Amino acid sequence: MTSQITTPRPRQDASRTPPSRKRQGKWWLPKPLLALPAWAWLLIFFVAPVGQVLWFSFGYKPGIFGTHANDVLSFDRYAEALSPTFFLTFQNTLWVGIAGTLICLIIAFPVAYWMALKAPLSRRGLLIALVMVPYWANFLVRTIGWQVILAPEGWLSHLLQGLGLTNEPLEILYTRTAVLIGVVYNYLPLMILPLFVAFDRVELPLREASKDLGANRWSTLTQVTIPLAKPGIIVGCLLVFIPLMGDYITATVLGGARGNMIGQLVASQFQTAQNWALGSAMAVLLMLIILLTVAVAALIVWVASRPFAWRRRLVIGEDS
Amino acid sequence: MTSPATTGPRGASASNATAPPTRTPPRRKPRVPLSDRLLGMWGVLVFLFLFAPLLVIVVHSFNSGRLLVAWQGFGFEAWEAMFTKPAIGNAVWITLQTGVIAALLSTFLGTLAGLALARRAGKWTPWFSILLILVTVTPEIVDAVALLPWLVFLGADLGLGIFNDGIVRLVVGHSLFATAVVSYLVRARLVGLDERLEEASADLYAPPVRTFWRITLPLTMPAVLAGALLSFTLSLDNTVVSAFIQVSGSTPWPVYVLSAVRSGLRPEIASVSTVMLVLTLGAIALVAVVLKRSGDSTTQIVRTLSGD
Repeated sequence: MTSQITTPRPRQDASRTPPSRKRQGKWWLPKPLLALPAWAWLLIFFVAPVGQVLWFSFGYKPGIFGTHANDVLSFDRYAEALSPTFFLTFQNTLWVGIAGTLICLIIAFPVAYWMALKAPLSRRGLLIALVMVPYWANFLVRTIGWQVILAPEGWLSHLLQGLGLTNEPLEILYTRTAVLIGVVYNYLPLMILPLFVAFDRVELPLREASKDLGANRWSTLTQVTIPLAKPGIIVGCLLVFIPLMGDYITATVLGGARGNMIGQLVASQFQTAQNWALGSAMAVLLMLIILLTVAVAALIVWVASRPFAWRRRLVIGEDS
Repeated sequence: MTSPATTGPRGASASNATAPPTRTPPRRKPRVPLSDRLLGMWGVLVFLFLFAPLLVIVVHSFNSGRLLVAWQGFGFEAWEAMFTKPAIGNAVWITLQTGVIAALLSTFLGTLAGLALARRAGKWTPWFSILLILVTVTPEIVDAVALLPWLVFLGADLGLGIFNDGIVRLVVGHSLFATAVVSYLVRARLVGLDERLEEASADLYAPPVRTFWRITLPLTMPAVLAGALLSFTLSLDNTVVSAFIQVSGSTPWPVYVLSAVRSGLRPEIASVSTVMLVLTLGAIALVAVVLKRSGDSTTQIVRTLSGD
């Protein structure tokens, strides 16, 4: 069953007309030059430092007191970073990253759906504000809040003991579970907000049309709403996964020794071990892993959507 | 199951949430389907989850004990400590100074870049966009470990003494991400505006500079203001980069808290954090008001504030 629905799309681009090219030259300053300060600033303080890290990663640590040396170049630091000592942390980080992103999606999906399509319109602004507040609260401070909640003598522990669910103090702080709770909490708003925007854009007439055409609510959800919200779902997963993988604070505050993540590993190479070469290699690997996972996920989404392409086709025309 | 009576107003204003006050939704159908009620309950639970740690922090700022985590009794000692401990006042002062300077700098760089992106796209545009995306997606920890040796190199090896100054270092570290954010905001605003207004100004013989000050800048102003406030809050929040590049003596507040995580958290962390939270939320509320008054819909504001 191929349903082709065409509707005009009331997006902001509608008013854009191609500017008259011939006149542009004379009436303004050479505008590309306006970006020059930002170019220079980002080249000096972003490209150069990150390039330097890339350069360090091919070097080695010369002795106890040196931090890096580059007279012999090799990939040895990458091999060292992936040696069994550190590989566990890489594995752990990837696990937390993928599990955290999926849990965020599972928690955020119904909430965003409810906020955008079910909650009273008059209260929507308030609901969004309520999601914004924790998102903009200081990252470190809200993570400390979880340390207080999850501590063995903390609130949750007392609550669970009071309810008779357990007799012993909660031993969850400084484990991988605590880190997982922390990252899900910290990045949840980044999943809710793009999902909200996506659901908000699914025009009600489309959903009604689906109903009028005899689809039940489940089919409307799976065949109209979710396919149309797919870009938002992808954006949400990226917004959560990318910063989550590089997380340093959550693992430091809640993880302790057992909930280690790559971010801490990189930091410790620069701060305590003073092995800048190895730390740089780890930082480069971290970025590569993020890029690779995103690429693999994109491929999976693309492959998975192929077999259904012929029946889930929903064309939203740019103009009718 | 939504009836046409309840869906009418929502459908009409789905693309523009700034509904006029006259368009109040009519009374809802008395029977709400079970699935919708379950959704609502899930929503409430998630909001409780989102607010739990913030609530805990505010409550524990009234903890009279020595440690933040262990509740001893109610008291205002933590709030008094804010004024009696010079280290705390100093850290907050450093944070505020850095926030203002970083906001001004990022707004300057980002506004010009956004203008150029929106009005003078050329061969350089894709490269610049890639650079901005890279700045946005690079994990903070990578920025931090990259800037540390780089600033040491600039300050010590090249002898540029300015990079040994604590606040300069922090401003540099905080300005990168914020510049990208401001460019996105300004570009988005200008792309949505009609360029013919500026062309009309030029046709009426206004010199380019006057066109800029009288037409372009006022039209862009909401995005510029929002960008400045966002940069300010981003700077207040920045912990990881600051922790690496800070110079002892000019420790910003979040780094002070981070070192307290290792040495023992005391209740005054909670009381000062509460104050900082109020400050941040004030700035964010101002951003929302600025954007709202400039005609953005709720959805657009959400997109702006979530960095989409």
